[in-house]
Amino acid sequence: MAKYRLIVATGCPTGIAHTYMAQEALEQAAKKKGISIKVETHGQVGVENRLTDQEIIEAEAVIIAADKDVQPERFAGKRIIDVSVSKGIKEADQLIAAALNGEGVISEKVEMAEGDKEKQHAQQSIGHSIYKNLMNGVSHMLPFVVSGGVLIAISFLWGIYSADPANAQYNEFAANLNRIGGFAMSMMVPVLSAFIAEGIAKRPGLVVGFVGGLIASDGGTGFLGGIISGFLAGYVVLGLIKALKPLPKTLDGLKAIFLYPVLGVLITGLIMTVISGPMASINEGMMDFLAGFENSSPLVLGVIVGCMCAFDMGGPINKAAYVTGTALLAQGNTSFMAGVSAACIAPPLITGFAVLLFGKYFEPNEKNAGLVNFILGSTHITEGAIPFAAKDPLRVLPIMMLGSSIAAVLTYFFRVQVPAPHGGFLVLPVVTHGLLWVLAILAGSIAGGVLLGLVQKRKSLSV
Amino acid sequence: MENLFVYTNVAANTREAVFAFLSAKIVEVGKATNEQAVKIGLKQREAEGTTGMMDGFAIPHAKSESIEEPTIIILKLTNAVAWDSLDGQPIKYVIALFIPAAEAGTSHLALLSQMARMLMDEGFKQAFITASTQEEIVGLIDFKLEGMLKK
Repeated sequence: MAKYRLIVATGCPTGIAHTYMAQEALEQAAKKKGISIKVETHGQVGVENRLTDQEIIEAEAVIIAADKDVQPERFAGKRIIDVSVSKGIKEADQLIAAALNGEGVISEKVEMAEGDKEKQHAQQSIGHSIYKNLMNGVSHMLPFVVSGGVLIAISFLWGIYSADPANAQYNEFAANLNRIGGFAMSMMVPVLSAFIAEGIAKRPGLVVGFVGGLIASDGGTGFLGGIISGFLAGYVVLGLIKALKPLPKTLDGLKAIFLYPVLGVLITGLIMTVISGPMASINEGMMDFLAGFENSSPLVLGVIVGCMCAFDMGGPINKAAYVTGTALLAQGNTSFMAGVSAACIAPPLITGFAVLLFGKYFEPNEKNAGLVNFILGSTHITEGAIPFAAKDPLRVLPIMMLGSSIAAVLTYFFRVQVPAPHGGFLVLPVVTHGLLWVLAILAGSIAGGVLLGLVQKRKSLSV
Repeated sequence: MENLFVYTNVAANTREAVFAFLSAKIVEVGKATNEQAVKIGLKQREAEGTTGMMDGFAIPHAKSESIEEPTIIILKLTNAVAWDSLDGQPIKYVIALFIPAAEAGTSHLALLSQMARMLMDEGFKQAFITASTQEEIVGLIDFKLEGMLKK
């Protein structure tokens, strides 16, 4: 492998022009001086010409000419000249000369990444940075939801009770699929939280976000708790970094490996424990509340059930509706559960219809996830909708609630009866008025899907 | 290249007017649907950092849902326009790149980036400044792109 005296990373916001102009300029400047150079570009098409660890180790110096994050923490311990991308274009010759002259700052492990992060933070508007950090969490969470959801859905093909050894449908392979899928799903909230925190505070945030997310998930807060713990963990770590700045530099190693993780996990953990505490009582309170409406009109009951199921998709409020449904089912009330199931099936289908009808306004991976959600929705795996909701809860959740409400209200109007607590459309053979039930769910899902698509369209046009 | 459009002797007195001209043209040639969205895209990119480069060249660009194909529009202005460029010179030559929001990792995008790289090539800049007709400019760029793709 060739050795390079200088290595460079370039990047700009759009990733079409400046990134490559800086690459060209620096390559030309190096060529003039007869210096070996490798330039890594962070463009719209992704990272090209990626620097290997070996090349980073062997290089004399690093030039960063970027207006975006090019992962400078990789260059810890190297001499770095860090400038804007336009400097890279305009002053390529001077930069190369400076790098060869021994100019630049030797970066220290955590300190460098922090300094950069803070600079970036100051430049970004708050709204944009919240969105970026949320997206960081959501994009890492997505494969967990898809893999877990699809495996669980497949296990239902052996029957919706196939994972229960006490049931006649039990099948060992299906039970394993269900268990494996369950593990993937259970990582969802911790991963969401961890990578939101990582987006905010880089590496030191990761561990704190993970633990906070586990506490949120264990406490039954659902994905909304995961979002809270992610942001909490990220800012706790940023706070610690600030607070510990006065400590002597010799303690830097200790900070990264000991102080940030221990203190960060402790503080975030305590706060998350306090926050998850009332979840059980919220859950019970909602169940009592719901029980009072058991016999009210289809419209009122449907709206309440729809909003509850779609509000936190797996959190305390959704669980309250679901558990009430199964409890009433045990007492022989099969119509209440029909509405709950409809409201739980609708959200993933809403995302499915949104990407089907408004595909070009979604990112390619979102589009694929939306299509997978047709499978997850049809098998009552509401979690499929979470990546969409977590990205933009304030706008997406009301749409989900509306769509689920429509599905539940119509289900109650049609007097559908569902005698199974799970399984989605796979239990259709035992559903009374099954066709009407599907119609009710499709009506809610399409209405929600169109709305979600329109919101996405408006969002993407405004950027 | 079918997504390259060249206009010479364009009269525009401000950067704003250049953006308006570009947004109108890209809709006119059928590569974008929403003039306003394109214009906002151009302005937003400009707000993140100037696209005015050196020696009178600017390389404004926009990414928008409204843009349907990666497109290059080249303008030679009749009089230089103030642009807050890297070397402080006003801009006479505009090489505008338009990027569909959904596009990622295609060879078309690489072409746009090659176009940007050309601006770092003194020989190209000189030839571009001397070229006076649309045909000459298109021929020059086609020739350069071919050379770069072979490289």
